[in-house]
Amino acid sequence: MNIIAKNEHWGSRFAFIMAAVGSAVGLGNVWRFPYVCYENGGGAFLIPYFVALFTAGIPMIILEFSVGHWARSSPPEVFKKIGKKWEWIGWWTVLIPFILAAYYVVVMAWCFSYMIYSIDLRWGLNAEQFFLKSFLGITSSPAVIGGLRVPILLGLLAVWVCVFIILYKGVKRIGKVVALTVPIPTILLIILTIRGLTLPGAIEGISYYLTPNFSRLLDVNVWLAAYAQVFFSLGLAQGIMITYASFLHRKSDITNNAFIVSLADAGTSFLAGFTVFSVVGYLAVSQGVGITELGIGGPNLTFITYPTAISLLPFAASFFGMIFYVALLTFGIDSAFSMIEPVTSGIHNKWKISKTKATGIVCTFGFFASLIFATGGGLFWLELVDHFIANFGLVAIGLVECLILGWIYKIRKLREHANKTSDILIGKWWDILIKFVIPFVLCILLAVALVNNIINPYMGYPWWIIALGGVVPAITIFLMSFVLMKIKGKGVEP
Amino acid sequence: MILPLSAIAMLIFGSIVLYGGLVYFLYRALKENNK
Repeated sequence: MNIIAKNEHWGSRFAFIMAAVGSAVGLGNVWRFPYVCYENGGGAFLIPYFVALFTAGIPMIILEFSVGHWARSSPPEVFKKIGKKWEWIGWWTVLIPFILAAYYVVVMAWCFSYMIYSIDLRWGLNAEQFFLKSFLGITSSPAVIGGLRVPILLGLLAVWVCVFIILYKGVKRIGKVVALTVPIPTILLIILTIRGLTLPGAIEGISYYLTPNFSRLLDVNVWLAAYAQVFFSLGLAQGIMITYASFLHRKSDITNNAFIVSLADAGTSFLAGFTVFSVVGYLAVSQGVGITELGIGGPNLTFITYPTAISLLPFAASFFGMIFYVALLTFGIDSAFSMIEPVTSGIHNKWKISKTKATGIVCTFGFFASLIFATGGGLFWLELVDHFIANFGLVAIGLVECLILGWIYKIRKLREHANKTSDILIGKWWDILIKFVIPFVLCILLAVALVNNIINPYMGYPWWIIALGGVVPAITIFLMSFVLMKIKGKGVEP
Repeated sequence: MILPLSAIAMLIFGSIVLYGGLVYFLYRALKENNK
């Protein structure tokens, strides 16, 4: 018996689905999927993407829902239930999203500032110059940290306070918040898509996005990109889905919920492709350049390409600018607090600290951890940490999760648990995917990332910077997992 | 410019799998809840 099982439950199935969808759908859906799709064969990418979704994404989300629902506890307690010596894996799982959150909220702080800047289109005619020089005050290299940027600092404070207010009351409040923060950005995205599709040049953009290049299907990297996209987009291996499923009622459905959450996430990405490429097509036609010459991935899209296009809109430019950044903020807030909730629940569960105090401690640490990304050199460090966590941290945890739950706990027991309460029954095919197929794909992803990083050091940075931004955080998180496991808790043994 | 036929085909394919699938599973969830 533990605190979660006794006290906290979702208000309804709808609240759980909304929270899980809100967590999965984030800034990455808007800025990553369209770009990855375009880079990997356009419409043809949908084929490996769907294969990856059904062979890795949905089975993994069923796994995380099942184990959370079975253990009814936070990830550290889940792995402790499987074997006392595995508790550190649970801590490892919740510390990674905490680091992710530290820089994710900084991007949200940028969106917060840009939402205000949209009123008078402050970026003017040169959005690149404004973003990099005036707003970020970017330094010459990651070695030059520079000072804290006040507008980012204020945005950061606002976002962390929001996260605290949403989380400290527990899951019931999350359920109420996501009832607004999931539909609102989706509606805004639809409005932006309709506006985008009515612009001159939109068809050119959509054609770039969807025209299939089937020859790319023979390229193994395209398949790897599809698996990576599904894996990161669904927020797997971050302890989030385990934590959220632990708040489900005993008789709640697992499998059907997993399908709904996964398809809603992928559907939002697909829709975002239209929002982005219609506007990119318009910008290309307006400026008389090719679409390939415009930046359509990552911060470039959100803070340079899109604002440039907004400035060129024939009417209501400020309005559409504002709703774009409000959509990003509301998409982002669900993901941000879902990254914090697992570590808060872990602390609350193990040391029996009140939820308010646990949330306060985590948010305060998070705020201070975010400060490095709010400096002039912050963008460099943000991209560096993101690169290593996305390529190594999450994939490694996903692999360990599959191995421990698939081989040590015996996957059959989890399948039987999921089938007991689910409308859709899963067969032995699921065991094979969790035990063999997904670990195999994740091993290849890890190996390819490792080889690529050794041959071509990230952005050509010197080794000491890569060590500081990638290796040191990875080792620190790994060691902290063991330290947190060893510190005696006040929890009742399961 | 008109959207190429192959792009239209991928649009239909993507929409059916994603949105069709989502509607189907939501329908099953609603049916289950009503029981």
